[in-house]
Amino acid sequence: MKILTVENISKSFGDFKAVDGVSFSIDEGTVFGLIGPNGAGKTTTLRMIMNIIIPDSGSVSLLGNSHLDKATNQIGYLPEERGMYKKMGVGELLLFMTKLKSMNKKEAEKQIDYWLERIDLMDWKKKKIEELSKGMQQKIQFIGTILHNPKLLILDEPFGGLDPINTNLIKDIMLELKENGTTIIFSTHIMESAEKLCDEILLINKGRDIVSGRLSEVKSNFGKNNVLIEYDGNDGFLKRSDQIIKYDNYGRYVEVQLKKDADPQKLLQEAMADVRISKFEIKEPSLNDIFIEAVGSENNGESNHE
Amino acid sequence: MNKKVLAVITREYVTRVRTKGFIIGTLIIPLMFVLIFGGVFIFSVLFQPSTKDYHVIDQSGLIYDDFVLMLSDTLDSGEPEFRFTKVDLEDQNLDTVISNLQSLINGKEIDGYLLIPEDIVESRKVKYAARSVSNWDEQKEIGRSISRIVTNYRLAKKGFPPDSIRKEFRQGRVELISRQVTEEGELEKSGASSFVLTYILAYVLFLMVMLYGQTVMRSVIEEKSQRITETIVSSMKPIELLVGKLIGISFLGLTQLIVIGLFVLGSSVYGVAIFTGFGVTTPDLLDVVNQINFSASVFAFFIIFFLMGYIFYAGLYAVIGAIVNTEDEGQHLQFPIIILIIFGFFMMFSVAQNPETSMAYWISLIPLFSPIVMFARIAVCDPVIPDGAYLSIVIMIVSTVLLLKIIAKIYRVGILMYGKKPSLKEALKWIRYS
Repeated sequence: MKILTVENISKSFGDFKAVDGVSFSIDEGTVFGLIGPNGAGKTTTLRMIMNIIIPDSGSVSLLGNSHLDKATNQIGYLPEERGMYKKMGVGELLLFMTKLKSMNKKEAEKQIDYWLERIDLMDWKKKKIEELSKGMQQKIQFIGTILHNPKLLILDEPFGGLDPINTNLIKDIMLELKENGTTIIFSTHIMESAEKLCDEILLINKGRDIVSGRLSEVKSNFGKNNVLIEYDGNDGFLKRSDQIIKYDNYGRYVEVQLKKDADPQKLLQEAMADVRISKFEIKEPSLNDIFIEAVGSENNGESNHE
Repeated sequence: MNKKVLAVITREYVTRVRTKGFIIGTLIIPLMFVLIFGGVFIFSVLFQPSTKDYHVIDQSGLIYDDFVLMLSDTLDSGEPEFRFTKVDLEDQNLDTVISNLQSLINGKEIDGYLLIPEDIVESRKVKYAARSVSNWDEQKEIGRSISRIVTNYRLAKKGFPPDSIRKEFRQGRVELISRQVTEEGELEKSGASSFVLTYILAYVLFLMVMLYGQTVMRSVIEEKSQRITETIVSSMKPIELLVGKLIGISFLGLTQLIVIGLFVLGSSVYGVAIFTGFGVTTPDLLDVVNQINFSASVFAFFIIFFLMGYIFYAGLYAVIGAIVNTEDEGQHLQFPIIILIIFGFFMMFSVAQNPETSMAYWISLIPLFSPIVMFARIAVCDPVIPDGAYLSIVIMIVSTVLLLKIIAKIYRVGILMYGKKPSLKEALKWIRYS
């Protein structure tokens, strides 16, 4: 079942096209990464999904409803611009957030305690938000979006401003939620975290989708399969093979770029005929490579300010 | 009611009602009553006036004896209010005597002197000299006494018997007994008491509408500047958030009103007894306490007009909160609203004195002013309901609903718009935008 379908949405602010005809859909249980450079339109896209910004054109269907209001209790949303009522107690604030998701109080209390324990902030339950450090506040806000066990979790830059330990903690919780069947959409401009977590990605740049699909397919479709070979012997096979676009030979170690649709197995056979092989590795392009290649070629010739 | 709205109402109410600011603010108004009345009481006990020493030079020889008789009152302490000493000039130079008196005054041995000239009956001027001349009451009393003696002389001189003339003056005095004509007949009511009550209530109304309007504005700005709004509106509609906010903060105002109301009610029932019990007998003070006289219908209208005025103005305040990014910007932008509220408050004074004029009628129908102006008419005319009272409520409700519809649109866009403050023109465009 498609938990979210976005069809051809666009949004302009004045003359600036923030999002330009983006479409995608997400299956239940998927972790979906919305990636792109700063200012690509990620937040605007998520805001349109959340009906916070109304698209100029196109449509969004959440959990089978074209109207968000019916689905809102099953969605958890962590906006990029986040903040909380500073004067409220931690427990009190979390309870308020569950009320906004129509949760019953008893279940809410249970979940609040469980998650506070999980993120190691149980001792802070009675403290006011303003007494917490920024990282703590961010963790509190994160669990505030998952207390009601949402079917769909939308996280805008969930790791922004977190230290590596807390980043790991949030990542672990996201994986845990995925195991339990939660569908997760998150935006990030940090490719490493996207690569580790995502089943599917959508790479957008300047408001348009440029690469999308299952992460593994994206990588193989990227047609930039590299092979690493450590060998001992004559390198004649490199010149003979018709699988190769180019190679970079260091004598006992060679980096080979295969043709599109080439079969690495065939290259391995050809190599084995000539040389002793101590290592043969098919090196997929990293998301980072794809990102730089795709975005870089798009922005070709333009200076790319951050 | 929608449970999410209820959650917002509860949050707005609970997080504010427990703040020190609210508790202090709520107690300050009753406390002010206590301080003012208590202060008057304490002053009257602690600062008993002492006997005043005056030397009197009576060059006419006509005044002194009667004068001393007339001012022979005693203080609460049993001491006489005045002690007069007659100064005989004999052969001494007037200037010498006066300079002696001056040194006595500067040496604090006496409080002052009076110089009554020889031709007092014609000139009607008496010199009063003292270390301090700000004791207005005392001077008035002295002047009145001398005037009476002089008048008596003048009457007698013309052949009128002063005593019988004074008697005639006293007996000829007429009292105006005011009665208010109502459907139920004529009612006894003093003009003064209804004004005092009306002014006090209108002032409280004015303050509360402004104060709680500002509270709404600050609440919107907090959510916006702390970036809370986006989290909230991902769970509920912006209009629901606004409605919850308006209702929650109105409960805060009602709480405050109930506390003040109970206090005023208590003081109107027990006030006189308490003050008499404390030994306060100053009639002025008891009159004021007596005048605190609530009728149930005035109280009901007060609540109705508070709520209507509050929602109307708080709606405008919410728009300002949604447009601006910081409280400072909000403080500046709220001036037009404050001027509107103050304008209504000032019109209230003239309307309360002439509640039946057609000007009063029309002004009190304008939604911007009716909360204060129409309420003032109702309070002054109580127990008669003035023309247009119910009509103004209908107009107020209809215009508030219309206003809220427009406000909701600006609010919806504004609360998620960070960065540059939009111009009024841009903000009005948002009405169409959403």
